[in-house]
Amino acid sequence: MRNRLETAVRLSGRAARGNLDLVGLCGLLVVVLVVYQRLDPTLLEPATITILSAQFLPLILAAVGQTIVMLTGGIDLSLGAVLSLGMAVFVINTADGTMSVVTAMVIALAVTVLAGAANGALVAYAGLPPIIVTLAASFLWGGVTLIVLPQPGGHVPTGLVRAYNLGWYGLALPAIAIAVALVLWKVVKTTRFGLTLYAVGGNEHGAFANGVNTRRVKIVAYGLAGLFTGLAGIGLAIQTGSGDPTIGTPYTLNSIAAAVLGGISFFGGIGQMRGTLLGALLLGLLTNLLLFTGISTFYQMILQGVVLVAAVAVKTLATRERVA
Amino acid sequence: MMASTIRGALRDNRALWAFGVLALTWLAAIIFAQGFNSVASVHYLVQTASFLGIVAVGQTLVVMMSGIDLSVSAVVALSAVVCAQVSAGSGGAVAILTALAVSVLVGLVNAAGLIWLRLPPMVMTLATGTVIAGALLIYTNGSPRSAQIPLLDSLANGSVAGIPLATILWLAIAAAAVWLLHLSRLGRYAFALGTSEPASRASGVPVPVTTFVMYAACALLAGVAGLVLLGFTGTSSLTMGNPYQLLSIASVVLGGTSILGGRGHLLGTVAGALLLTLLTALLVAWNLSEGLRQVSLGLLIIVLLLVYARERRTT
Repeated sequence: MRNRLETAVRLSGRAARGNLDLVGLCGLLVVVLVVYQRLDPTLLEPATITILSAQFLPLILAAVGQTIVMLTGGIDLSLGAVLSLGMAVFVINTADGTMSVVTAMVIALAVTVLAGAANGALVAYAGLPPIIVTLAASFLWGGVTLIVLPQPGGHVPTGLVRAYNLGWYGLALPAIAIAVALVLWKVVKTTRFGLTLYAVGGNEHGAFANGVNTRRVKIVAYGLAGLFTGLAGIGLAIQTGSGDPTIGTPYTLNSIAAAVLGGISFFGGIGQMRGTLLGALLLGLLTNLLLFTGISTFYQMILQGVVLVAAVAVKTLATRERVA
Repeated sequence: MMASTIRGALRDNRALWAFGVLALTWLAAIIFAQGFNSVASVHYLVQTASFLGIVAVGQTLVVMMSGIDLSVSAVVALSAVVCAQVSAGSGGAVAILTALAVSVLVGLVNAAGLIWLRLPPMVMTLATGTVIAGALLIYTNGSPRSAQIPLLDSLANGSVAGIPLATILWLAIAAAAVWLLHLSRLGRYAFALGTSEPASRASGVPVPVTTFVMYAACALLAGVAGLVLLGFTGTSSLTMGNPYQLLSIASVVLGGTSILGGRGHLLGTVAGALLLTLLTALLVAWNLSEGLRQVSLGLLIIVLLLVYARERRTT
């Protein structure tokens, strides 16, 4: 009884600490939003929200995918390549106009889910560390993308591009897409799979000993990451109106940065999706802020690096004493 | 008895596997592909392998202590760009020294972040890599220079007794690194850290010194590779280091070193870098498109890893 109580206390302590991180992130986000509002008073108008959400959607969804993989204790270095792959498959199918956009989306998503699941199968069955598997896979999927779409091109129906970027009867389609994706994750998380996802990341041997099919969990997790990454690629294609076989590369590291900012642990099992969402929003807003201040965009990479180091360092140093 | 000893040796020494696979691949290349049987082709292969090889030797030093350096690509570009920029005003020797000093500084910053900020190596080196890439854009205003520095030119393109100087430099660096990692006290500390950090801390391994030396050495070698590349191409670019980020890690792992640290041999990395360069050359010789080449390289790496680089399930 005492033991259980202690565990409960420790767990609630951990939850409070997790929320504290999120409170800190929220505070930072509010500060950034206030500054943003001063520089761009149209921030809360529907048109701006539509444009911003279209701009942030790829990073948010890619970070959601990366988070799912990181929760299992893995990492996906092929995410950028899979994102480009989804984009390439989508734009070549919409290019000639004979295929409906929805069919093209389904095909693109099927491809990225399969690519993700293949990564997962290698991680689960080959006994190779995820970082190595996905490193090799980044060559593989990057190559497949170049075969599908050798150079930038393809075409997305103009009507869709306009509706997506400028609003559709006053609705911000990208914002709705992000919301739907997050609800989808919420649903997934409440299932048995969602629980086993955290269990495998937290303690793989323990999960296995308790009858969790750890291999299947990993394959499904990487496949699910492929789904969100594919959605990110499709979003990017609709936003830009065409495809580019190498556009996804920066998303690999940016998605990791967003997840880490949001408090997802590298060792798996710890972290919440809302943290990742905040992390991705913060990265995106800060980048835009720099544009407003008129300093060269060259500085945005420096800022990203500094924000990443500062955020993670503050978090590690703040939690270290309590752990020790 | 004999067979089981050999099997045991092979299982315990994955670096040997790397050399075996390299020999087999080279043999296959000579038999099945055109143009791999000439001295000139060997000369060219070992010369081009040395760029990747030098970066990969440095990467091995940090991977062995279960770290990783994702900033090597940025440092390769940094060193070449800085050297080209400085040489325009102050001459070759000053430029080379400045470039190497800046590279070492990056390594020290990486190590400082790991030790004092307690960041995971991946996050810290990723961040410094991003910062350097941004800083280079500002420094060069987006258009880096080309430079003809005689010393670097002869280092990259010259040869002694038929062996390219770049290769000799690479092997000399590898020899020094073998001493550092396998024979010196610091090397033993690095292995200990790679096996178990808490245990090594508890038994008095000087973590800060080891981390500083290994990350500084890794960055220094990436800087050297950048200089050799600058001599080879005569021009610097902001993206010239990009291929080396993933390929250096792939060389280390194909060389039989565990990505989790603590197991492997530095010489395996030499074989790994040669193997990757040979495979790339083969794929080019077969006239495959860029996409097919990447797919084949990815598949080949996966297959090779499955053959001999699997982690034992005991951990």
